[in-house]
Formats: sequence, structure tokens, C-alpha cells
Amino acid sequence: MQSAYIGKLMEIAEHDATVMHLLADSGTGYDEMFRYNFPKQIYNFGISEENMVAAAAGMASVGFTPFVYTAGAFLAYRSLEFIRDDICFQNHNVKIVGMGSGLSWSSLGPTHHTTEDIAVLRSIPNLMIFSPATPKQVTACVQAAYEHKGPVYIRIGMNNEKEFFDENYTFIPGHNDVLQENGDISIFVTGSILEEAYVAVDYLSKEGYGVNLINVPCIKPLDSDNILAMARKSQKCFVIEEHNILGGLGSALAEIFSTYGLGTSLCRLGLKDVFAAGYGTHAAVRKANGLDGFSLYQRIKEEL
Amino acid sequence: MADIKDTKVILQGLRKKIFLTGFKGGMAHLASCFSCLEILYTLYVDGVLRIDKENSKWRDRDRFILSKGHAGLALYAILNHIGLMSDAEYNSYLQPGGVIGGEPCRRDSQWIETATGSLGHGLSFAAGQAMALKLKKSKARVYVLLGDGEIQEGTVWEAAMSAVAMKLDNLVAIMDCNEIQKMDFIEKTIGEPRWRDKWESFGWHVEEVDGHNIVSLRDCLLENNEQGKPRLIIAHTIKGKGVPIMEQNPNWHFKLPKSKKEKMAFAQALDISEEEWEA
Repeated sequence: MQSAYIGKLMEIAEHDATVMHLLADSGTGYDEMFRYNFPKQIYNFGISEENMVAAAAGMASVGFTPFVYTAGAFLAYRSLEFIRDDICFQNHNVKIVGMGSGLSWSSLGPTHHTTEDIAVLRSIPNLMIFSPATPKQVTACVQAAYEHKGPVYIRIGMNNEKEFFDENYTFIPGHNDVLQENGDISIFVTGSILEEAYVAVDYLSKEGYGVNLINVPCIKPLDSDNILAMARKSQKCFVIEEHNILGGLGSALAEIFSTYGLGTSLCRLGLKDVFAAGYGTHAAVRKANGLDGFSLYQRIKEEL
Repeated sequence: MADIKDTKVILQGLRKKIFLTGFKGGMAHLASCFSCLEILYTLYVDGVLRIDKENSKWRDRDRFILSKGHAGLALYAILNHIGLMSDAEYNSYLQPGGVIGGEPCRRDSQWIETATGSLGHGLSFAAGQAMALKLKKSKARVYVLLGDGEIQEGTVWEAAMSAVAMKLDNLVAIMDCNEIQKMDFIEKTIGEPRWRDKWESFGWHVEEVDGHNIVSLRDCLLENNEQGKPRLIIAHTIKGKGVPIMEQNPNWHFKLPKSKKEKMAFAQALDISEEEWEA
């Protein structure tokens, strides 16, 4: 996803000299590629995320379009007040790109995990939130964020995520992707954990369960029409998210269900209000927290 | 430039106006407003800031950011004084249906560059503006007013490093150095601050000035920065300047006169008539 992000940002930067790629010592080889091509459109603030976020707002006020880019945890938590006051309150055209969504920084532990960002940021007015699942979706989200004149938070994973979309994929903010419509169990999923959701759906399908799989790439604004439509024809709904079950996509669905008086049962599968256990690869940490495809399948089956 | 005596009368009038507005609103950081009033006056009235009063969005305007947002009422009073805020808007301070509050807000006036209130945001924002203006080859300068208590916020130092790294010679930070924060004297809170040493060691060009002397302030604010360097002006001020019972007394950080004795002290210092109290 990082390479998809930088690739798209370079494409945009080539046509728009006001686009700035801002880093808080968070660069990798991809960013050096950006620097090589656009030396005047990249700046490293050093290890000072809040400073970078507030300065980005200042730059936006002079007509630039900054993309601030570092680990999601250091943006959503450390820089929260700066995102709120300097960017969102004043509706500045800054894109906040948190890399390493969910448990992607698996081996570095909870200080680097981004498993409460949706809860924290969803409550801030003026902020759009995109949560792409695959590299192609990252590319589309970055384009949409660029086209929107206002603050956007994009949570992206790391690298080597599987691709489930083809060349014709289009992303429209506030629209879900119904990936499979095949019964009266609906599974809503957001972010790169989509690949684990597919594994769980495969197991369930093999056992004869009819499952709908809905990807939610835009957390705010949420596609409540689609969510309601899918929920109304379902016996049971599940949410899979690499996030605390408090305040995440599941909570957002619960708000919609209660607002519209839907009695459909809703089961939220994520971190049960805990910091993630374990270290190792991303797959290993997902497994240690019951968020790998097989564990998800088992947890869903228990509820059916 | 106006005659010094006339200016003193104007400033006295502004202090009275700020007090009466704050008192009527029931809340104001009067002491902070009074410590930086001459600084704001010099910037806006005395020809330091290059702005186009007909066009708040002029691209090459000088920017001013009140990072110590709690002195917002003083800034609003100055904007009102130079005709950039109507009397109706100014007088609506903290009133039902009013449009201005206790901290400056971009939403509330087109002449406010950025909303402040939470301390430690302004210098980073200003550095971002200064960097962007340089990239656009604009000659505009960015002024930012910091409180000397505010400087305890860590982000101020993040921005102090960035501004030097970015060679922002279009950035001027002014420190309203009144030596008092909300609860106590600065020195009692963080020890001897040694501001000059700190900022110089970060690579800033540092100057010191009497923050109530508008002639010195004007000269200092209008100087050019050393090439490639941001500049800090330490403006030595008196918190609560103009009202003796408030001056250099930490108890008055966020307080309005309550007792008859206190009200008398304000009435005497600011020449407030009985009718004005009643109103």
C-alpha cells in the first residue's frame, strides 16, 4: 500500500506543484523516489508530528495541498489536537495519511498499532475518513482525497497486501463495495483485513452458509443506505475490523441500526477493548488476537 | 505616526474599552490583554503589518497569529479600532447570539489567520505559512505572538527547530514576556527561563525590547531579519499594565473585579464613569 500511495502521489504532484509530501522522519525508499522526482515538493520536519500537522495547516492557508505522512498512531493520537484545531476546525485542505493501519506494525507492539484511530477521528467534524483495503483502493482513495477540498484522513497498511479489485475499480466517497451477495448473513469489513474476511467467507461458503461480503472503504461519510439495505435482508450481521470494537466501524453500524430501529443482530469482531497481544509478522499478530481468517470463521460460526 | 501623547490616550481608551467589554461579557483574560496591547497596536495601527483593509485574502499580506489566544479580546478591540470589525460584532462579545468569544477564531472574523486557544500551536502554523510564502516567492512576513508561559509547550520548541532548519527569515516571533503564567510567576514554575540563551542556542536571532514602548517596538518589528534566520523579539511587558492592582500579580490572570474596592481601583485607573459602570 505504501508503494501504491507514493506512486499515486507522484502522479498527482507532477500536475500540481502545490501538492506537498510532508514527513516526520517517516520516509522510506519510496519517499526518496519522490524526492528524486519532486525535490521541491517534499519536506521532512524531523521527529515532530504535531509540529508537522500544524505547519501543514499553515501551508494550506497559503494555498498548498499538503499530504502529511507518518505512522497512523503518531497522527491519530499524538497529533490529535493539532488535527482537530489547526486542520479540521478551520477546514484546511490537508490530507492526513496514517501508514501501518491496524496491526500492520505487528512486531513493534501496541505503541505502534493503530487500533483506535477510527474511534478517535470519527468524532471530529469536517474530517473525511477513508480506509482502503488493497493497493488499488489506496490509489483511488488518494485521488478522491486530492479532489476533495478539505481535510481527509486515509489509513493505509504497509506492503504486499492482496489485490481484490481490477483495473476498472472506482472509489466514490460514501459508497460501499458489495463484493459478494449470496445469502442472509452480511459481513461488513474495512481496511486490509479484507483478505482475512475472504478466507473466513470461503470456509463458511464451503459449509453451505450464504454470505454477503461488503467492504467499507469510506468510514466517513458512511454509506448508511447500503448498510441499511444489506442489514434489512440479513438474519445476522457481522463487522470485521482491525480496530477496537469500541468506536470503530461496528459501533458506527450500531448507531445506524438503532437510529433506524433495526432489530438485526450485530456482532462486532475486532479487538475486544484490549491492546493487541503478541509479536511477530502481521499474520502472526492477527492470529494471536483472533483476527486471522480461520479464527474469524470460527467466531462467526459460533454465533450462527 | 501619531503624537506619543495622543497614542497614550488612545491606548488608555482601548484598555477601558477592553475592560468594559470583558466585564459586560462576564469573562476575560484582562491582564494578558493589557500586557500585549502595545504590541498589537504597533503591529496593526502603527504600520508594521502590510495588509489591505479592503481585501483580507490579499495573497501578499503580512500574517499575524495570536498564539496566546487568551488575549483575543485585545486583538478584537484593535481590529474594531481600525475598522476591520464592526461595533456590533465587537460589542457582541460573549453576549447571547454574539459572534466573538474568548479566543480568536477564524470562523468569527475574516481577519483572524487561525483559531488559537490551545497553547503551542501558533509557531508551527506560522512556520508553515512562512515556508509556503517563501515557496511562492512572496515578500510577506509572518508575525506570531507567543506568551512566555506558552513556551513551556513542547511543540514551541519543535517549531523553533523547524524554523531554523527552514531558514525562515520571513518569520518574526514576539514573546510577550510578562513573567507570569496562570498560577504563578514563570520563574517559580520552571526556574530561571534564560530565554535569550535558549533561543539563541536554537539558532534564532534574538532581540529585546520594552514591550510597552511603541517607538522601540515599531523600530524593532520593522527591522529585517538576518538573512536565513528567524527572529525572536523578547518584549518585556507588565502583566495587567495600566491597572495598578492587577500589575504583576498572578491572581489577576483570569479574574474580573468583584468587590467595591477592586471596582474602584479599575474605575480610577481606567477613568470609568458611573454611567459607564451602569451600562
